[in-house]
Amino acid sequence: MSDPTTDDTTDPAEPSLVLEDVRKVYRMGDSDVVALDHATLEVAGDEIVALVGPSGSGKTTLCSIAGGILSPTEGRVVVGGEEISDYSPKQLTTFRQDKVGFVFQAVNLVPFLTARENLLVVDELGRRRGAPARQRADQLLEELGLSARAKNLPGQLSGGERQRVAIGRALMNDPALVLFDEPTSALDTKLGEAVMELIQTEMKSRGIAAIVVTHDERMVHYADRVAHILDGRLRA
Amino acid sequence: MFLALREMRRTKARFGLVVAAVALLVFLIFIQLTLQNGLLTAFVGAIRNQSAPVLVYSVDGRRNLQGSVITPPLEAAITAVPEVGRAGRIGEGTFTATVDGDLADVALVGYEAEGLGSPTALTAGRFPERDGEVVANEADADLGLGLGDTVALEPGGLELTVVGQAEDINLQVTPTLFTTYDTYVAAVRSVNPDARDPLPNAIALTPAEGVTPDQLSAAVNAADPEADALPRAAAADETPGVAQVRQSFQVIFLLYALVVPLVTGLFFLIITFQKANALTLLRAVGAPARRLVAALLVQVVIVMAAGIALGTALYAPLSVQRVGSIPLRFETRAVVVWTVVLMLLGVLSSLFSARRVLRIDPVEATTGAGVQV
Repeated sequence: MSDPTTDDTTDPAEPSLVLEDVRKVYRMGDSDVVALDHATLEVAGDEIVALVGPSGSGKTTLCSIAGGILSPTEGRVVVGGEEISDYSPKQLTTFRQDKVGFVFQAVNLVPFLTARENLLVVDELGRRRGAPARQRADQLLEELGLSARAKNLPGQLSGGERQRVAIGRALMNDPALVLFDEPTSALDTKLGEAVMELIQTEMKSRGIAAIVVTHDERMVHYADRVAHILDGRLRA
Repeated sequence: MFLALREMRRTKARFGLVVAAVALLVFLIFIQLTLQNGLLTAFVGAIRNQSAPVLVYSVDGRRNLQGSVITPPLEAAITAVPEVGRAGRIGEGTFTATVDGDLADVALVGYEAEGLGSPTALTAGRFPERDGEVVANEADADLGLGLGDTVALEPGGLELTVVGQAEDINLQVTPTLFTTYDTYVAAVRSVNPDARDPLPNAIALTPAEGVTPDQLSAAVNAADPEADALPRAAAADETPGVAQVRQSFQVIFLLYALVVPLVTGLFFLIITFQKANALTLLRAVGAPARRLVAALLVQVVIVMAAGIALGTALYAPLSVQRVGSIPLRFETRAVVVWTVVLMLLGVLSSLFSARRVLRIDPVEATTGAGVQV
């Protein structure tokens, strides 16, 4: 289901994400730690890729680079047709506002904002489109079955509802790519599967690409493809 | 505004407490400012609000009107200075008087001519024209020193009638009456019939044309080493005790100037840490750091403005009361100045929190590490 209030700028034939030979090296004292070692990955326009690997394997680093939170040490990163490899922190901030959606593992919602305001905050702190943004937030909440919970604070929502609000927020800017970092880690199996089903449905219906970081093999069948990562090396 | 106002709306108790803390501090600052000004006015108002541009004490008097005695040679030396325009004697003494049926201390200031030690302006009535007429401090009307009231000096029973009122003309925190020099001399004699004519306590001067009060003071001091001439404001400010009172209050105000930003600064630092995860999340989803800092500053301004408004509202009714013999008044200028100072201090104190916000690394959203120190 496409959003009638916004233009879909991503061409389905064009890959949503291109990582070419990407390296990320951290300086730790006197030594270098390679977090991502010449990773190459292409995610199609509406493809869902499960990124699987043990802790410390480089999953989060890869997601952070794909989402413009981190800059690569080497290599090329293109998201929604926009090359961001050499972007400044300020350019990356604008890029994150416009082009990507995030659902994090640790904290996903602002505790003092209602469900609806958590969606609107993306617009309020960014481009401030006003009425169209409010219309889109209401539409997303309705599609996610959260209309009745729009005025509730995160503390008044169940775990599943909070994840749905986070997904709604990730979709607010009509992104080219949504990055899910362990979206089911805090949920029981049944709820985890429900959330993965929702992710699958929402991404496919909107034609949006997604990377789902997980270490739970039970959830990977919701993805179109599985990419394994170990010690910073990607096996797509 | 979106983020700032919604956070404040959802955490009313927390922000209400800091507003209350700021309001209490503002109230204490304003009330102590009023006390300081009231105390100093009651202490030296008679000097500050008398009409002579220059007062000359004897050096031995140590700039204390009551302790200064102008001998005839010194008086002659002073009046002979070419820069002097007009000169007149001032006498001052503290008397016991029956006021409204009770015995009370009153200070009596005698001046030789209007414009040479008389009150600068009257708020009601007229200047004394006949013996036994006085001008009283307006705020002392309810003590039995209103227009038309009569007091009797004890012993002797010399009656003085209030014919005029002026603002802030008390001396040494004592109800003060301004009168003619002759009435002053008569008052001294009435309580001690054996006394000789009292020597004046000071000489009031006006400068000759083209001479400033500072130049006149310098000329008089150069003419006789026993003379201690001071322009009016300096004579008030350098009265023994004034500087010490002012200094003591300044220390208190300095402490407040430290405590207020400390309270607001710590408050905003604590809530910045408490909402670190939310701020990190917002940075990660594309909120520019400057927008988050702006939200913080909006909250600081709202908290400070609300605290100052509430503190002023508490202060206003108390500022028109009287503390013992010290009348208080609403200090508009001080309120405006301190409002600006406190707003600036509040904003400055939040810069520490702003720095923390600017240091948030959006990558922490992926690890949940939040704000780093």
